[in-house]
Amino acid sequence: MDNASHLSVIVDLSPTQWHLSSQSDNTHPLSLKDFLSQLLAFLNMHIASKHENTLAVFGAFPGKSVMLYSSTDPLQHNRTIDANSYPPFRVVDYSVMQHIMEEIDALGEPEDEVPCALVGAVTKALCYINRISHPSTSSNPADNPAVLPDPRMLILSVSPDLSTSYIPIMNSIFSAQKLKVTIDVCKIYGPDTVFLQQAAHLTGGSYIYLERRDALLQYLIMSHLPPPSIRNVLSVPTQDRIDFRAACFCHKDIIDIGFVCSVCLSIFCKPVPVCTTCRTKFPMKTLQRLNASRPPQTLTPVNGSTVANGSAIGTPRSAGTPMAASLR
Amino acid sequence: MPAKDIDFMDVDSDSDISLPAEETSRSKGKGKGKAVAKPKKTKGKGKANEQAYTWEASYTRSWDTVQEDAGGNLQGAVEDWMARDRRRRLLAPAGAIRRTIIRHLILLLDLSSSMMDRDMRPTRFDLTLQYAREFITEWFDQNPLGQIGVVGMRAGIGERIGEMSGNPQDILRAIADRHKLEPIGEPSLQNAIEMARSTMSHLPTHSSREILIIFGSLTTCDPGNIHDTLDDCVKNRIRISVVALAAEMKICRELCDKTGGQFGVAMNEGHFKDLMFELVPPPAQNTLSRTPGAGAVNPAADLMMMGFPTRLPDTSPPSLCVCHSELKSEGFLCPRCLAKVCDVPTDCDICGLMIVSSPHLARSYHHLFPVKPYEAVTALVDVSDSTSACHACARILPTTQSTSTAAEGISPFGRYRCPDCHNDFCTECDVFVHDVVHCCPGCGK
Ligand SMILES: [Zn+2]
Ligand SMILES: [Zn+2]
Ligand SMILES: [Zn+2]
Ligand SMILES: [Zn+2]
Ligand SMILES: [Zn+2]
Ligand SMILES: [Zn+2]
Repeated sequence: MDNASHLSVIVDLSPTQWHLSSQSDNTHPLSLKDFLSQLLAFLNMHIASKHENTLAVFGAFPGKSVMLYSSTDPLQHNRTIDANSYPPFRVVDYSVMQHIMEEIDALGEPEDEVPCALVGAVTKALCYINRISHPSTSSNPADNPAVLPDPRMLILSVSPDLSTSYIPIMNSIFSAQKLKVTIDVCKIYGPDTVFLQQAAHLTGGSYIYLERRDALLQYLIMSHLPPPSIRNVLSVPTQDRIDFRAACFCHKDIIDIGFVCSVCLSIFCKPVPVCTTCRTKFPMKTLQRLNASRPPQTLTPVNGSTVANGSAIGTPRSAGTPMAASLR
Repeated sequence: MPAKDIDFMDVDSDSDISLPAEETSRSKGKGKGKAVAKPKKTKGKGKANEQAYTWEASYTRSWDTVQEDAGGNLQGAVEDWMARDRRRRLLAPAGAIRRTIIRHLILLLDLSSSMMDRDMRPTRFDLTLQYAREFITEWFDQNPLGQIGVVGMRAGIGERIGEMSGNPQDILRAIADRHKLEPIGEPSLQNAIEMARSTMSHLPTHSSREILIIFGSLTTCDPGNIHDTLDDCVKNRIRISVVALAAEMKICRELCDKTGGQFGVAMNEGHFKDLMFELVPPPAQNTLSRTPGAGAVNPAADLMMMGFPTRLPDTSPPSLCVCHSELKSEGFLCPRCLAKVCDVPTDCDICGLMIVSSPHLARSYHHLFPVKPYEAVTALVDVSDSTSACHACARILPTTQSTSTAAEGISPFGRYRCPDCHNDFCTECDVFVHDVVHCCPGCGK
């Protein structure tokens, strides 16, 4: 580790999902409390491994995203001096825990829980990385780290894919590519998320599905602590199949065969006469042809449900030829 | 300052237009001695001597427009540029713009001896090749479903250099060897355009057909009437754009004007690149179509069935691909028939489904759903303590007015507010969100 590196950690703090994760009928239950203590150990490890390392922590709460800690503007609070702790660790721990407490206390009734603002947290992290990577335009020279190699982002996810956020997530991935930010994903609980798999794949990061949740810290240290520059000498787990499915614009269902407007590339789950995005009308002939060729299984789309089961193939295979089957 | 610029340009173009009329009035009125017209006349004449061609008026050198303020800082100038940028965004139509996203482009390179001219460093030819490479990379980045072909013009004929292909590596390989492209002889616009036209004639109607000509000569030796070729291009809806390296030629401008393309004369290396890269973003839907108005049946539009594949890692057990019958581990599975293909986008060899990776499509979505422009905060009335930092990057926002004069669209506090989520953002994040992320961190969409 020659160069200092920047790490932005995005923590998915959905109360419902964490509650489900801590249930004892899971094979390896992990409660929020255990998770946070392992996370703090990991954060401390990152700042300890190199003095110049910078860190930012963002929390995705239901309907809200909050910056929990950043090493460029640490909170000014009256902390008690504890002779038994290293001050930088203490600042991180205190700041992260304090913010999480405040936000969780401010949460409303559990019945009306809205989905987590993961997109907000990711875009905030991108804006923050953009800010510290271009220090020249900043007015205050004091908060400029001289260089910022290898900025990367680690998303600790417990919620399933939110298909309404398909386009913003994709836009974030492309901006991460532009900023040369690597996105790592650690899926702690719940089914695989298609969008985050694509995020890790497209930015050269690693996507890890946690099989032993109680060994979280071990996973984090082995695969997410080393910066990407030295990962190629380590044997970081690679992604298995990557699912390139997309969400349709009409029902926000995740689909593997879609109908695409040739003018604006909007995706629909069934043939539509008029594109809802660009108002283009499609020829009648095409609609008839497409309706005829459509696999019968997709005639009854599952409305409203975010199709997010772990299986890679959504539509049952209908036209499998013997040759194709033999090639599998 | 921007307002002044515009005024200045207006005066110039006026004088250019009125010049021939004044010229005739002078020759006519020579004996009569029209005193009234005289001052105006001399003014027009002087301007004409300074600026012989219209394109010189529209081109301002960037270093001339940047002015230091009294303290020797460039801050004011930079802010001004940003104000202009903000206004440009505000003026842009808010709704979704129709853009042609599946594009076909023929890059027509002048390989005549005039390309060896050294007025651009190192030579026009080398610079063109270098920019062409960058252009192709950037073009495929923004138009992942497009295809590019390369045609050269030298020794009086059109020469096919690279076949139409959707793979940037193929095209880059075609123009990689500069010795094979050594400029020689005279160019022939007609021959080259005819060749490009025939390459594109079979393309599906919902895709765009474009020709980009990099032209360094002032002559063209054609076997027939180039206007016939031009009419054919208009009929085939081929959009021709020209970047001229030498000077404006009437036929070049006509090619662009009649087909709806862009014409530009490169003044220097940087301007050359700018002119080329203006053609990278997908063009708005072809206005030449005879059916104006929203909701009209656009014969070029169609609905396409596409499959989004699953990618197999290189650690999976090897199997044969259906496209080359080669034994390999990595590949993409067709979602309908589960056949394995090597690369996307492609048509499945088994069931014929068009297979694209969805990120390819998603790259263009920010054109469809742009972020609403943020409003400049001009007074700190309802700003509470909690909003003292930028909502996105947590930079502390100033609470005192900066010294610079408040230009239109610029917040004196460096504070911009999202009209939907009412969060405040700093200047940098405002630019970053609208130009790069295309997603408001406050609203999350
Ligand atoms: Zn749908
Ligand atoms: Zn459309
Ligand atoms: Zn193959
Ligand atoms: Zn197939
Ligand atoms: Zn900011
Ligand atoms: Zn907003």
